Order: sequence, then structure tokens, then C-alpha cells
Amino acid sequence: MRYISVFPIVVILSILFGSAFTGLVIAPGVASDVVRSPSVGLVAYSPTEAKGRKIYAREGCVYCHSQQVRNVKADENLVAAFGVSKAGDYFYDLPHFLGTSRQGPDLSNEGRVWRRDIGQPARDYLIGHFINPRQYNPNSIMPAFDYLSTQELSDLTDYIQSLGAWKDNVKEPLKVATAGL
Amino acid sequence: MTSIQDRNNVVTATLPRPNVEPLPIDLPDSAAQIWLYSGIFWMSITMLIGVVEAIKLFYPEFLQGVPALAYGRLRPVHINIGLFGFMSMGYLGATFYMVPRLTQTPLFSERLGSLTAWFWNFNLLGGCMGIMMGFSKGKEYTEIPFPFDMTIGLLVIAIAGNLFSTITLRQERRVYVSLWYILLAIIPFPIYYTLGNASKFSGIEDAIINWFYSHNLFGIWLTTLGLATLYYMVPKQVNKPLYSHIVSFVGFWTLAAFYPWNGGHHVIWGPVPMWVMTASVTASIAMFIPTCATMINFGGTAWGTWEIMKRDIGYRFSLLAYVCYVGASLWGTVLAVMSLNAMLHFTNMTIAHVHLGFLGFGVPGLIAFTYFYLERSLKLKYSQNLAEWHFWLTMLGIIGYVVSMGISGWMEGTAWEAGGSPQSTMLDRYPYHVARAVSGLIVMAGQFLFVWNVYKTVNYPINLPATSPDALEQSSVTS
Repeated sequence: MRYISVFPIVVILSILFGSAFTGLVIAPGVASDVVRSPSVGLVAYSPTEAKGRKIYAREGCVYCHSQQVRNVKADENLVAAFGVSKAGDYFYDLPHFLGTSRQGPDLSNEGRVWRRDIGQPARDYLIGHFINPRQYNPNSIMPAFDYLSTQELSDLTDYIQSLGAWKDNVKEPLKVATAGL
Repeated sequence: MTSIQDRNNVVTATLPRPNVEPLPIDLPDSAAQIWLYSGIFWMSITMLIGVVEAIKLFYPEFLQGVPALAYGRLRPVHINIGLFGFMSMGYLGATFYMVPRLTQTPLFSERLGSLTAWFWNFNLLGGCMGIMMGFSKGKEYTEIPFPFDMTIGLLVIAIAGNLFSTITLRQERRVYVSLWYILLAIIPFPIYYTLGNASKFSGIEDAIINWFYSHNLFGIWLTTLGLATLYYMVPKQVNKPLYSHIVSFVGFWTLAAFYPWNGGHHVIWGPVPMWVMTASVTASIAMFIPTCATMINFGGTAWGTWEIMKRDIGYRFSLLAYVCYVGASLWGTVLAVMSLNAMLHFTNMTIAHVHLGFLGFGVPGLIAFTYFYLERSLKLKYSQNLAEWHFWLTMLGIIGYVVSMGISGWMEGTAWEAGGSPQSTMLDRYPYHVARAVSGLIVMAGQFLFVWNVYKTVNYPINLPATSPDALEQSSVTS
């Protein structure tokens, strides 16, 4: 075994890596159309929402807040309230904020909790919570974003209120959409 | 017949113009030294940041009000220094040490190796400053902003070229298993690194590519360099040949076949095509085979070496790295089982698993190599007392970290399945977050002793007597 030379090693390694590359990078993009088409009713981000999204990325919100509801027992309450996330829901997301950890709650449907139609009280809550989370929940470990400017806080609030908000305007009932999964 | 991994003589580079005084960066092993010491430096920094973050997770007012030190900005800095500073640089140091010895050939360009190391340091510093100033790209493991991210890719091409040229020009025709792992590390890196960092895909495609890239970074960049180091070091430390070359062959090729497929296991049950989940879960479970091969091989090599373990602290760290590698890999396989993933994904169990890998395998492996390097190559005597303290503090800290986060993760998983939420478990998590910060502090204290020990050993050298283990090793080993 020790006499194997370098060239065959390089060739076999390239084949092995290439097959994984084909399977995980090329195949999902080419073979499945769910990845490349938006969900019905999905709305693109407005300019202020897009700015808020940049602030969300800059401040690293994604490290503690996921943006996906899975069809599993641990997410039972979220599924019951909001339905399961689908690939097309993320069509306009660049970069993606699916997340890997939930130190805090999932935010994929936050715009349906603090809805735009509540008006000023919802915005006041979200902005006040960004500035001092412990004023609302003494046990919260969320950092206080008191250093953001008024404009930045407003943009971030716009973005948070856009999360999942489009789903409320989709005519077909959610139950039908999730039944297939 | 002596086996190749037993030869340890330093090969002196033949300089292109012998009448010219060589620069310090042209001396043999200068590249290895710069990489290794930089790795140790970044290891201390990433631990310091880690402790600050751990404190912020139970006392959020800690250092509040400074944007650059906000939790969400420090965490990517912690991760990127851990990946590209501590692990990459430290283990590249080991690689630059191993390659000339395993090939019995001077490094293709010692100067290129040294310059890439310095450039890498400044580039990483720039990248981390960029993240702290708010230029993060916002996706996990790709946060380092342009142009620093692309510079890392270019530097790896220069490093890989340097190492690959040395391997091609080798005097020793046989290729030891460590070199296989190094080849796997350096060949595909530029491809997935560029793909992961430069990609302009959106939505789910972006997520899939992000995980393909980042899992390859752990699997076929850091793990392979780490295992290459262990495969080189352990037979020398125990002064006997590797248990089985057949088993290491099986371990290597199964690892190379399955690890690149693991990426999708970060989005099991997520909104991704079924194919990505199925392929990644299968590959993650198949990782059981290379893990077992490594377990058998190192277990067999280490069997009956209790005397050496008592005496040689560096070897003890190798064993700690080996045990944690096997533990973290088997744990990863278990976490990829779909039913368990449904419960434990998003919890602190992931944090525990990752830290068993980095803190348990990465840190002790690099420490073992450093002690090995001081003792066997520089022939210097380090403080046995400090090293003893270092070992036990590190061990205690790792156990404290992994156990506290593991329990917290299990508790969160069961609470969520019972209808709870991250907010409802906030108070229950508190004691574990404190325990984690204390464990981190213990590990960090141990590493500061280590850094002090290395500094003293190198700057105030005490040479080892002629009966050093190296003399023993060179006389008696056969394969």
C-alpha cells in the first residue's frame, strides 16, 4: 500500500470530489425546479427592507435566530401557527439566513406576529426591543442594539415586518399547502 | 527495512546561490516555524474571544455599547480566526514540517512558504477588522469581506503549489499516509473555497452551496491536515510503526469518498430537495467507516504504551486528540440520524459537537505537535511542570465545555418537543451557560501557560541530553 504513487492518488481524489460536487452543487440547481422558482405570492424586498436585511447580516442576527420551520415535532407549535417553510420562500434571499442555532426564537414568520396592520404599536415594540431587549423580557440574552441610528432601526424593523408577511395575502389556505409535505 | 515515517533527520536546503548570506526566511523549517507560532498565537486570540462571547451569553451587558464587540460581530471573528488562524495556520505549520521529511526533499521554496505565512497573518487581521467594522458578508464561514476572502484563496494556491512541487520532486518514492491526507487537503480547496465565497446564488441554492463549502472546510481541509499530523507524529512518539497500513488505506479512501458529501446534513428537515438530505445523511452515517478505521489504527498503535503516556505529555495530548476525534466523528454520525436531528438540530448540542472537534481534536493535536517539535526537532527541554498543568487544565476545560453544552442541548431538544420554545428554556439554560464560560476560561488559562512555556523554551533554551527519545527512536525502529 505504501508504494502507491502520487498521480493515481490525485486522479482518484479528483473523481471522488467531483462526484460530490456534481451531487450536491450541480444536481440540486439543475434537477429540481423548486429550488429555482419563487413560492406563489412571494414578494421581493422593498429598498428599505433590503437595507434592513443588510443590517441583519452585519450585526450577525443569523447566529442566534433561524429562519426556517421544519416539519418535525420540535417545531410543532410553529407548524400549527405558520406552516412549514418551502424552498421557494427564500427565492429573493441573498445571502440566505436559514441559520444553524436557536439561541433565540425562529424569525421566519415574525412579520405575521408584529404585523404591519397593527401600525405604530408594533413598530414601537420592535424598535424598543432592539434598543433594550431586557426592558420587555428580563431574562433575554439578546444584545442591545442601542448603537444603531434611528434610520437603521427603522430599516431593520421594515425587514423584520416583511418576514413571512406575504403568506397572509396568499389566497389558498395554509393547511392545503402543508398537507402535501 | 526502515519505514519512511521513522526517519526524522532534517533535510538541509541547498540554496540557489550558496555564496549569498541566506535570509532568515530561507533557513530550513523557517516556514514551518512561522506557520506554527502564528497558529498558536491565533489559538489564544480565538479562545479569548470565545470566552468574551460565552460571558455575553449569560451576562449580555458585558462590554455592551461597543459595536465592534457586539456578540453578532465577535462570533464570526471567533469562527474565522478559529478556522483560518488557529487551525489552518497551526496545521499548515505541521504540514510544512512533515512534507520535507516525508519526501526527503527540501521544501520547494522556503521563502515562498514564509512569505505566504506572513501575508496570511496580515490578511486575516484585515478580514477580521472588516467583520468587526461591519463589512461581514453575512453567511456562516464566508464572513470575511472582499478582498481579504479572495486573497486567502490565492494564498492557498501558492501554498498548495509549494507543497505539491515538493511532493512531485521527492527523493523518497514511497508515499506515506500523511502525504495522502495532505494531497486531499490541498488539491480541492481552491475550488470549493472560491465557490463558497464568490457565489452569487440566492435562496436555497445559496444555502446548499454554503454548507457544501463549509463542511468541506472542516472535513477535507482541517480534519485531513490534523489526521496527517497525527499519522506522522504518533508512531514516532510511541517509537513503533503504525499498526496497519491496510487500515489506514481503507480509512483514507472512505473518508475521501464520503466526507465531501456531508454538507447537506446542516439542513436536514430544512426546505431543501429530498436528494440533498438523503445523500448527506447516508454519507454522514457512512463516516462511521473511516472513523472506525482511525480508531483501530491509532488504538492499535497506542496499545500498551502506558509508560510513554506517563512520561511524554506531548503524546498524552496526541491521545486526547485521537479520543476526541473519534468521539466528535461518531457524535456527528449520530446527530445526522434524522429522528435525532429533528430534536437536537438548532440546540446547543451542535455547539458541543463542534467544540469537541475543535477544542478536543484541533487544540490538543496542535499542542502535541508543538511539544513534539520542541523536543524532537529543536531538541529543547520544556518545563514539565507547566506542561502537566497545561494538560490537566485543557482536559478539564474540554470535559466541562462539552458536558455542559451537551446537557443543555439535550434539555432544549426535549423541551421543544414538549411544546417549549427557545424563550421558555432561557432560565434553564443559564447555569449551563455559566458552566461553559468557566470551562472556556479554564482551557484558556491552560493555553496561556502553554504559550509561556513555549516562549521560555525557545528563548531561554535548555538542550536535551544525548539520551533524548529521538536518539532512541532513530536506532531501533523498523516496520
